[in-house]
Amino acid sequence: MFDHIDPRSPTPIYAQIAARVRIAVAAGDLNSGDPLPSVRALAGSLRVNPATVVQAYRELERDGVVEMRQGSGTFVGTLSSDARTQTREHEARRLVRELLEQAARLSICPGELRRAIDTELGASRS
Amino acid sequence: MSHAIAIDALSYRAGQHFAIRDLNMRVPNGAIYGFLGPNGSGKTTTIRLLLGMLPPADGSITVLGHDVPSHAHQALARIGYVPERLHLYPMLTVSETMRYHAAFYAHWDVAEAERLRRAFELREEQRVGRLSKGEAGKLMMLLALAVRPELLVLDEPTDGLDPVVRRDVLTALLEYVSARGATVLISSHLVHEQERVCDWIGVLDGGRLVAEMPMHAFRSGIKRLRIVGAPVSSAPTPFGILARRPGAGREEEWVVRDWRDDMASWFRSTDAALREIVDLDLEETFVETLRAARDASGRAA
Repeated sequence: MFDHIDPRSPTPIYAQIAARVRIAVAAGDLNSGDPLPSVRALAGSLRVNPATVVQAYRELERDGVVEMRQGSGTFVGTLSSDARTQTREHEARRLVRELLEQAARLSICPGELRRAIDTELGASRS
Repeated sequence: MSHAIAIDALSYRAGQHFAIRDLNMRVPNGAIYGFLGPNGSGKTTTIRLLLGMLPPADGSITVLGHDVPSHAHQALARIGYVPERLHLYPMLTVSETMRYHAAFYAHWDVAEAERLRRAFELREEQRVGRLSKGEAGKLMMLLALAVRPELLVLDEPTDGLDPVVRRDVLTALLEYVSARGATVLISSHLVHEQERVCDWIGVLDGGRLVAEMPMHAFRSGIKRLRIVGAPVSSAPTPFGILARRPGAGREEEWVVRDWRDDMASWFRSTDAALREIVDLDLEETFVETLRAARDASGRAA
């Protein structure tokens, strides 16, 4: 689940970790009550600063995705199917925003972009 | 005490010339501080000074609240140190080395030392002189962690080790820091290794600290811009320009500092078009920082 954390990415590592958890929850790979790795285990296995893992978990807690229970660890919170749908929508729009930003820098117009998306969608369906 | 290490106006002479000149440095409590610098920049000398192993010519050093070198022994009891080179007795076995080391430290953790020995797959009866480079590196980290230090000072702990060993050593370090909240000063020229781990960065060059700041500030402020139709002599810019280089065709590449995203609008007031904002990785940021510092000191001289 935490493969491909990229320290060189402009996205901070804590945000990458939080995003992985959100996506796993949205995809149904993590369910309510499932434990997340301990800070110690995740910092050790990803070889990242423990404060970075804590920051990711705090952000997820603030957004209601996980609960941090004193002394026993971090668990996926109670989620409605609405919350899952919302997360998926949110992720989809984030991907599109990234695409639009890059296209704008290369002066690709919306029509060209739309045609390219349709072509690629068609190619991945067949 | 908010800083595990505080160095003020430190100078050190090696023979005729200054190896360290007017060095100021702050390592915040709980930080994992990446101490970067090219070979010969004075990293190891600074580390020896802050451990009380060399006498400063001038300035003050405080480590874990203790004045160094006058009270270095009190600081050293609370520090785990991995030196640049192995300094162990080659005739002792691994377990003899561990017992020997334990005798010097009141806080030696027998159970943790044994757990690490197994995790690192070090054989008790193996003589230290016959350890591979990787095994020796693991033993050094074991000895540093088993004293349950509040501060870890690691001088190129993983440089020259193979990737598998580096991974094991870093994992052990980070597990310890998670559990104990210790401060870490880690010197290396393996810059990309520090990228995941460190939350503070200090850059040493020619015995001076040319940058010291939180990692995110260090990384985010410097960008490479791809520009088409850049003005020949640039008007005043809201960001600092570290370098201008010709690119492909009409393109030019600018390396800028103090960058914020809203500054992209500045280009609309010129005829230039900003094509791309490239994030630099830590290594590139490090190189550009060094280059800019050297240009600045060249101009000053």
